[in-house]
Amino acid sequence: MNSFQQNIRNFSIIAHIDHGKSTLADRIIENTGLVSNREMKEQFLDNMDLERERGITIKLQTTRLLYKAIDGQEYIFNLIDTPGHVDFTYEVSRSLAACEGALLIVDATQGVEAQTLANVYLALDENLEILPVINKIDLASARPEETILEIEDIIGIDAHDAPLISAKEGVGIVDVLEAVVKKVPSPKGDPKGKLKALIFDSYYDNYRGVVIYTRVFDGTIKRGDIIRLMNTKKKYEITEVGVYSPGPMPVSELSAGEVGYVCASIKQVADARVGDTITLENDPATEALPGYKKVQPMVYCGIYPSEGEKYENVKDALEKLQVNDAAFLFEPETSTALGFGFRCGFLGLLHMEIIVERLEREFDLGIITTSPSVIYKVIMNDGTTEMIQNPSNLPPLITIDHIEEPIVKADIMIPKEYVGSIMEICQERRGNMLHMEYITENRVSLHYEMPLNEVIYDFFDALKSKTRGYGSLDYEFIRYEKSNLVKLDILLNRELVDAFSMIVHESKAYYRGRFVCEKLKEIIPPHQFEIPIQASVGQKVIARETVKAYRKDVLAKCYGGDISRKRKLLEKQKEGKKRMRQFGTVEVPQEAFTAVLKYDENK
Amino acid sequence: MKINKTAESEKKSLGVYIHIPFCIKKCNYCDFLSFEKIPEEVQNSYFLALLREINIYSEYYGNNYYVDTVFIGGGTPSLVKESHVNDLISAVRNGFDVSENAEISVESNPNTLTEIGLKTYLKSGVNRLSIGAQSCDDKLLLYMGRIHSTGDFLSNYTLARDCGFQNINTDLMFGIPGQTTGIWIDTLEKIIQLKPEHISFYSLQLEEGTRFFSMYEEGSFKETDDETDRNMYHTAVEILKSSGYVHYEISNASKDGYQCKHNLKYWSMKDYLGIGLGAHSFIDGTRSSNVSNLEQYIRIGINNSIDKTSKGLSSTFTCWQHKNTKDENISDYLITVMRKTQGIELEDFRNRFGIELKQLYGSVIQKYRNLGLIEIVENRLRFTEEGIDLSNMVLAEFV
Repeated sequence: MNSFQQNIRNFSIIAHIDHGKSTLADRIIENTGLVSNREMKEQFLDNMDLERERGITIKLQTTRLLYKAIDGQEYIFNLIDTPGHVDFTYEVSRSLAACEGALLIVDATQGVEAQTLANVYLALDENLEILPVINKIDLASARPEETILEIEDIIGIDAHDAPLISAKEGVGIVDVLEAVVKKVPSPKGDPKGKLKALIFDSYYDNYRGVVIYTRVFDGTIKRGDIIRLMNTKKKYEITEVGVYSPGPMPVSELSAGEVGYVCASIKQVADARVGDTITLENDPATEALPGYKKVQPMVYCGIYPSEGEKYENVKDALEKLQVNDAAFLFEPETSTALGFGFRCGFLGLLHMEIIVERLEREFDLGIITTSPSVIYKVIMNDGTTEMIQNPSNLPPLITIDHIEEPIVKADIMIPKEYVGSIMEICQERRGNMLHMEYITENRVSLHYEMPLNEVIYDFFDALKSKTRGYGSLDYEFIRYEKSNLVKLDILLNRELVDAFSMIVHESKAYYRGRFVCEKLKEIIPPHQFEIPIQASVGQKVIARETVKAYRKDVLAKCYGGDISRKRKLLEKQKEGKKRMRQFGTVEVPQEAFTAVLKYDENK
Repeated sequence: MKINKTAESEKKSLGVYIHIPFCIKKCNYCDFLSFEKIPEEVQNSYFLALLREINIYSEYYGNNYYVDTVFIGGGTPSLVKESHVNDLISAVRNGFDVSENAEISVESNPNTLTEIGLKTYLKSGVNRLSIGAQSCDDKLLLYMGRIHSTGDFLSNYTLARDCGFQNINTDLMFGIPGQTTGIWIDTLEKIIQLKPEHISFYSLQLEEGTRFFSMYEEGSFKETDDETDRNMYHTAVEILKSSGYVHYEISNASKDGYQCKHNLKYWSMKDYLGIGLGAHSFIDGTRSSNVSNLEQYIRIGINNSIDKTSKGLSSTFTCWQHKNTKDENISDYLITVMRKTQGIELEDFRNRFGIELKQLYGSVIQKYRNLGLIEIVENRLRFTEEGIDLSNMVLAEFV
């Protein structure tokens, strides 16, 4: 091992949402002196507005820092940030694979959470050195000793000398940096060996094409190299090699142990998939780095231009997002109710929400999203299988032998006082309890098998609501399972609105149907005629509500020539109309589509 | 007074509204700008301010406008000394050419009319009297917080007739909690027997800031359901029509030739000047409104430093003004003119705005024609009977 490699530390920070990951990253960057306070935006690593607002990291950021340690030597720190959500588990695992160590931040007021555990297991899978850090010790409710014991008990790693810090107040940051120097192993690997570099993230840049974040394990990569991506088998010429410090800074080469970026005129991120291995075309490695997986969307929904929005605008925006997000898929589809739109695939619900929000905010688009759906495996009478992610495409029942739905293993961590109510909501959602364990005296971990379609419906909202935000959830796909599923349709004024159709378990059809009818009744304004709202399964109506006809919408009097008053009233009325979507003769406010999906504690 | 009087024929017509914001007692449904128990000295200074405002505006507009309607409304104009009303009319006559056959209306409430008062009105040139009868059911009158009984109304009405008023309007209300369709028909019939030239019939609107509204919030006011309200409305229209009244505006009917000329200005986008507290004006495509704080209004009125150099509708009484864009003129036109049962003359629209209405709103018109809410008859676009009930739904498309 050369001395250059000896002074490199590649590490990530893993934490549950809100445990202070981004704040600690900020402090580390400040303390290594690369960025002055003045230049720093709050929470440097979260560079999307949306991420800053939600306090979560979605896209990875990587920064190379120089740290002069107490031993007098200078160290290169490659801080690799990880997304903090279950939807992005694969991305997390790949960025962890690029490291030798991980800082595990645990909030001293909250203790270990489901997400913390999930990430720790990922880090253990990659054989990382895990450095626990106890954060938020400045808070009155902090209980650092207990937190240390919790880490040791639950995770089984030594935490007695974990730095006790307050990232917010800047307390204990040097301890963290010194721990990184002392405990995170320096990278190994032969700079003269055959090139093996891991793609752990990528993004699209208008000028340089796809920028690949990479960790070189063996060999050296430099400008002009002809590379091959070992899984997608594509060939490119390297146009730029560099590191982020914190902005892009070209360097002459990256060699074994280093982390940086490469550009190779790649058109979209789907061509440089996370987890793939870069090697040289002329002198290729014999086998790729392990762990590559082509990520598959788990959740689908329709995205349609809302009234007055152009189809082309939505299409352009989706294309732009896709260039940057290999996990996001879309294809055109048509709905009788909503017209031309797109069926979109996401890693999970959060991923979906983020894309939808970005379309609305960054691209300023008016869109309607339909009920999210999972992918159902439909086994036909003739033995063939169809994968269905749009309820409207479900073949006629008579041609179907049976339907299978995806089942996930859900790990739920909650304070013990909520066990009863959470077991109840799991049961309501067709959960099958595997086991339950007390993590500490007060905290419980529940392990369930649950259909994914229940999880994506409103489970997370219900969990948060029932536990006052203290519950956490992690889930992973385990298998497909035969299930008694039916297609629930909604009819407005006797016309089927396909955008409201959903596939539900037979036992849920009535409740869901009634809920949707009641919601729509609240939301759909009265028309001049009566509007029946019906939920049906097959030909059978299982729930019905009626929006009574509007009889009166008239101003008796204009006050002494005060036209502006009447005008304001009408303008307000018109504003409301703009958000309406016309289905046959019925006008439906656009929020109806989200409202029928929202968790309602009283229902 | 004026040196350069233009001939009336070259001037444009103007309606003048004068607001009297005083009442003996605020009614339970009323959210108009009016106050109860205002001391007489304050009322006197208010009238000085009104005269002041009339003077100022006559200097601005007297040369270009003649007045063909005056409407003294309130509040309860009949509450104040008749000399005040006389002074106001004189001031208008001093400042403007007032056409010989001008309609001059005064609003009144039963129990406030006297023989002397009525005769003074007539002498001043008042030729139209509006009386707030509201209902001929004493229980409902009490419930609404009115200060009179049916008997009071009948005697005041007869008095007005005896004094010589030949054009009388009565205001009526329906959709009052506790009012059955039977009671409503009874009121209508009693009123029709009196043969007033004009009848206004308003659906009770629950407005914020009223006594009824606080009752509503407490849960003790139960709004009349829409079904009953509309039934009462259509019944009224039917009875009025069969009794020889012309239903010419959503809430107004009259004997032939007795339509309220002043109110028609609001519904025809004609110019009108609002004088007094919170009054609204529309002149030369500019809408404006006056301050609505009584003290402030009086202060401005007695303050001599009013900027006489400013032009148009920007006297210091004005607190808001807005020059309509062409689009706003079009939508104002549509939302006001459509209140008339005759609707919009498509030709008039074209002449005014240089474009066909159908070119602007073809699809909207088609949509609501299909729904049976509007119709085109003899080159006029108007609401159908059913359409009136849902008129806001249609008009909202035009703003």
